[in-house]
Amino acid sequence: MELPTGPGHRSSPMRPQSEDTVFDSLQFGEDIQHLISVPPENASSFTALLELPPNQAVELLHSPDSTLRTRTVIETHHQKPYLQPQFNAANLAFPTNSGLIERAARLSVFAGENLNNISNNSLETSSGPSNSSANLEKVVKSEPAEAESDLNPSQPLVSDPTTVENGAQNQRPVKRKEREKKGKSSTKKSKSSGNDNSEDAEKLPYVHVRARRGQATDSHSLAERARREKINARMKLLQELVPGCNKISGTALVLDEIINHVQSLQRQVEFLSMRLAAVNPRIDFNLDSTLAAEGGSLMDSNFPSMVMPLTWPEVQVNGNRQNYQQQWHFDAVNQPVWGREEDSYNFITPENSLLSYDSSANSDHGRLEDKGLEIFDVMVKGNNGIQAEIEHYGCVVDLLRSAGRVEEGFEFYQKDAF
Amino acid sequence: MRAPQSIKQEFLKKWILGLQLCDFAKQNMSMLERKKAIKLSADIAIASTRNGMTCWSRALVAKASRDYGDKVLVERMLASESEKLKKVSSIGLIAPNKWVIIRSKKILRKSRRARRVRSSVPQSVLAKSIAKKMVKKRTQVLKSLVPGGEFMDDISLIEETLDYIISLRAQVDVMQTLAKATDLLNERAKVQAQVGHLALAAESTASPTARLISDPSEAFFKQTRESPQVTRHQGHRSSS
Repeated sequence: MELPTGPGHRSSPMRPQSEDTVFDSLQFGEDIQHLISVPPENASSFTALLELPPNQAVELLHSPDSTLRTRTVIETHHQKPYLQPQFNAANLAFPTNSGLIERAARLSVFAGENLNNISNNSLETSSGPSNSSANLEKVVKSEPAEAESDLNPSQPLVSDPTTVENGAQNQRPVKRKEREKKGKSSTKKSKSSGNDNSEDAEKLPYVHVRARRGQATDSHSLAERARREKINARMKLLQELVPGCNKISGTALVLDEIINHVQSLQRQVEFLSMRLAAVNPRIDFNLDSTLAAEGGSLMDSNFPSMVMPLTWPEVQVNGNRQNYQQQWHFDAVNQPVWGREEDSYNFITPENSLLSYDSSANSDHGRLEDKGLEIFDVMVKGNNGIQAEIEHYGCVVDLLRSAGRVEEGFEFYQKDAF
Repeated sequence: MRAPQSIKQEFLKKWILGLQLCDFAKQNMSMLERKKAIKLSADIAIASTRNGMTCWSRALVAKASRDYGDKVLVERMLASESEKLKKVSSIGLIAPNKWVIIRSKKILRKSRRARRVRSSVPQSVLAKSIAKKMVKKRTQVLKSLVPGGEFMDDISLIEETLDYIISLRAQVDVMQTLAKATDLLNERAKVQAQVGHLALAAESTASPTARLISDPSEAFFKQTRESPQVTRHQGHRSSS
């Protein structure tokens, strides 16, 4: 049946996420040990945000500013050994689709307590090794927060093809930086107030960004670059959330896809609400049974047990027929029972607005028309031998049609009705 | 960290609550009105799963509260919610000066467009400016799509879009499941009605079939029914 399996399939992609987070935490543990042996490195720029494993990138994006600043220094440092074995851009630790939804879900908790706890824990674990290796963290000064926030409202979303290319090639220059650090001395430009020590790093209110080689270092362009990199990081997350955006390069086209996606979702909501309005003139819900039935598997199964439509305009119900159908609910054990097989099914009467279904009833949709056919057979071939009239045939054909067995109905009609 | 399942569950609970609060008993509700009520309750439900933390959810609630007819429903639905949402539904979404800022920006943009100097620029700069314009246009469109988007700067616009897409997906999933379930129920009801119709037609044509209907436990196998069966049948009919 489509209904129980559909949501079930949707829930199955969620499971690999836990493996991803476990993997990430393992990596993190190893990194701490690598940390001490790693030679002192220059701190990263904001572009290192893009290299971070997704959950930490998410945390950085959403933690309040002060923790962001302090943790940028520490986290990026931890990630350097994590990324060093992967020197080619193809091997970057960007999330696969299985981790997407989890990250995006986490992303949507703005400044949640969980994030703060995680950030506190990571601060504690990282402060140990960072203290032991005092000169490991080198930071470059960047502009304060006020300048950034002033610039933000005034500037529109700007990103040129060159920036995008820079973004794509971000990893390579940064990698090159890392490679250079090993052998040569760094020839990068840096601000004069460069290399602070680790003990002060956590207390500084500024984010330290290292200017890349050949780029201007005045505060305006730095601010703009920082802002652009923030935007790029978030755009990457958005790209991974919207299906089909991964291969597209270029902000405008990606935005096109995002807009299309949002529009299609909104249209779907409209259409579904119209559909629901058409089918059910009244939707009445029994909250008690609904909430009782809600376990973890709300969507996976037993959904119709919570749905209780009140009246069905398509069904031609008159009082007599209702009574017959209620009569049919017998407790006959051995013989085939007409009407409903399930115990907890109450047919709708105008007084009774409660309707509940077994899950078996939903999957076992096919037995009723067989019952109808049985009735017909008995009627015709039984010892009483009632002559089947055209209305009987019509009923049987209609029954088969509404059960989806149209050809059968046609054959039946052709075979017997003449 | 929210699992998508919990979003869906929360949304469903609140939506059911909202639908109950909707006054569907009015007989004069056209389909359009019903659809509006369903959509409104769905929107408020999905906005309230955010507990007022995101801008789009607050904007959605505020937009719904503007119309007085809907405002009643909104307030009833949000009766048990956090203070933020209640505040949003009672006051306007944004201060009037924000509207002034936006309007003045639009005027500036139009005037800039009018008095643009067509200078000959090098090719690379031209390409950059074209790309910038494209991106700007699209951000404008996105701002119009996301509720409350006009008041956000670019960075928070992207974050809000992310959250909005996730919530929309959950909403669509739940609504689809509900629609499928009701379709299923209707199908079953149709089949049952057909069976009933057939039996009814059979019964009305000849009385022996009345015996079949009245006591199915013996119907297929014993044929010793006499008039007591008919009376029993009558008795069954009257008892239900």
